[in-house]
Amino acid sequence: MTYEGVDFYDIESELTDEEKMVRDMARDWVEAEVVPNIEQACRDGVFPDEWRVALGEMGVLGMALDGYGCAGMSYVAYGLVCQELERGDSGVRSFASVQGSLAMYPIHDFGSEEQKQKYLPKMASGEWVGCFGLTEPDYGSNPGDMITKAVDEGDDYVLNGAKMWITNGTIADVAIVWAKLDGVIRGFIVEKDDPGFSAPEMTGKHSLRASVTSELVFQDCKIPKDRILPHVEGLKGPFSCLNNARYGICWGAVGAAQSCFHSAKEYALSRIQFGNPIAAFQLVQNKLAWMLREITKGQLLALSLGRKKDAGTWTPEQISLAKMNNVDMALEIARMARDIHGANGILDEYPIMRHMANLESVKTYEGTHDIHNLILGRHITGIQSFTREL
Amino acid sequence: MVTIAVLLKQVPDTTARITVSDGRVDETAISTWVTSPYDEYALEVAIQHKEASGASITAITLGPPRADKVLKDAAALGVENLVRVWDDAWESLDSNQVQAALSTILEGVEADWIYCGKQSADRNQGSTGPGVAERLGMACIVEISDWDVTGAQPSFTRATSSGNERLAPTPPIVLTFTKTETELRRPNVRGIMAAKKANIEVVSADIGDAQVQVVAHNPPAQKPEGRKFEGAESVPEVVGLLRDEAKVI
Repeated sequence: MTYEGVDFYDIESELTDEEKMVRDMARDWVEAEVVPNIEQACRDGVFPDEWRVALGEMGVLGMALDGYGCAGMSYVAYGLVCQELERGDSGVRSFASVQGSLAMYPIHDFGSEEQKQKYLPKMASGEWVGCFGLTEPDYGSNPGDMITKAVDEGDDYVLNGAKMWITNGTIADVAIVWAKLDGVIRGFIVEKDDPGFSAPEMTGKHSLRASVTSELVFQDCKIPKDRILPHVEGLKGPFSCLNNARYGICWGAVGAAQSCFHSAKEYALSRIQFGNPIAAFQLVQNKLAWMLREITKGQLLALSLGRKKDAGTWTPEQISLAKMNNVDMALEIARMARDIHGANGILDEYPIMRHMANLESVKTYEGTHDIHNLILGRHITGIQSFTREL
Repeated sequence: MVTIAVLLKQVPDTTARITVSDGRVDETAISTWVTSPYDEYALEVAIQHKEASGASITAITLGPPRADKVLKDAAALGVENLVRVWDDAWESLDSNQVQAALSTILEGVEADWIYCGKQSADRNQGSTGPGVAERLGMACIVEISDWDVTGAQPSFTRATSSGNERLAPTPPIVLTFTKTETELRRPNVRGIMAAKKANIEVVSADIGDAQVQVVAHNPPAQKPEGRKFEGAESVPEVVGLLRDEAKVI
């Protein structure tokens, strides 16, 4: 049976033809290329290069941006693609999110015309890979205190510092690096061969194994003056990138949850205990009903947020709520699905444990679950709780 | 300029559950409609032919508004001209009427090469390609499994009882395709954006009266329930049943 996804509230009827076509395109690719190969990629700890090529050929990299080789599709369409990619694996969605939302978007919105023309077409096609350097070893949730700095040395900027947990770092041709210039956070475009720049891969991960995670190290890294992003200063730059990436995550988590739900449903219908499929037991049905309920709510949340984004009316707090809620529910569904699968749930014959392990990362990156709670807490009370002096 | 027409039929997804209600297939219960798989190969050849020759392609389907999707899907792969033949008064058309409708459109297109699947995945009649060829006074090659459309003289290969035959036809001609190992191309986002703007021409045709009436659809008979044997002692019984009842050994 062809995978059809969960659509309990007939979301299909609220999508345009183009959005459905793009969703189906991504779904078919994931079904044909990712699902059969993802476990091996995870065992090997690699992001297969042919997936980079395929994502570029499909045109999903930066697909919601306009011009410069980008398609200018709706953010709902982009979200649907994220959903399908993450049904395959969070690592695949992460690759596309980082490329489009974190590396291409800042060039598109904050870059010079020359920068846009130089980088965006090659990044849209997947020829060049981008990464995004904000988090540092000692500064995760509070990037405002970052210590990576840039110094104006006449014809060049010189960068010193280190970034950590950088998706795509080692395979990136282009890094968007946030560093302080005269105490103000600015964005810089660092190319892989720039002197003083290195991007060693981080190893030993139990999560996002089919994704490259790296450090970025800048030791007197010299870049030309025209590599600064001219049109943004301060945390607004990286945060606006993160908003877009968080939006992709809120759809992606729905995809991972659907994968776990689909597997749990199939397993429950075929696993016989006490002479009946375990799907016949009330406790199992309760779990499946909870999964369907949460997935449906997550879908509606994601679609609503996407329509707001396309209308230009979303707020950062709405993004926080959707990212936090959808990853949270997806992680819980993965755990519940593992329970339904019994011991079989720990095998890589099923996608459950892989999604579960991936979602532990997704829960933390792009704003941790708790930080998103604090953003909502600030919205509710008007009191900012995460920067107080103790 | 070389012109190509490709005939595409929308059918239920080949894995869709088909239900019969009051003696008719319940189309409203079919959740996914797709381009008939054999027609997808015809479309792939058409696009390869276009890439090699600069041809223009007209995709033609016969069906209600939902069939627009197969044309939009074709547009996303690079097909320029989209035509849907339909009349709201039409219900279940027989083969003669289908061929009449398609031939009327094809006469206007004046295509050099007319490509379609060897049969549709739902009706499995295999009558459209040869029937259209007959009406248009063209030759027809059926069940083509390999092709070379890169040169000035395209050639096509089909299986015969004694091996394969490779044929070099002179257009205009109708060619029908079977499934092959060829990997079908996928659309990309840019193609889908182009398809969004593509115009579908909806036309009707004089198709005459039906000679064939559908009396009833019936679902296939239920397969008898499987039998389970356990333990080595049941081997002789299983072997006996396979030999005497199933007659497979």
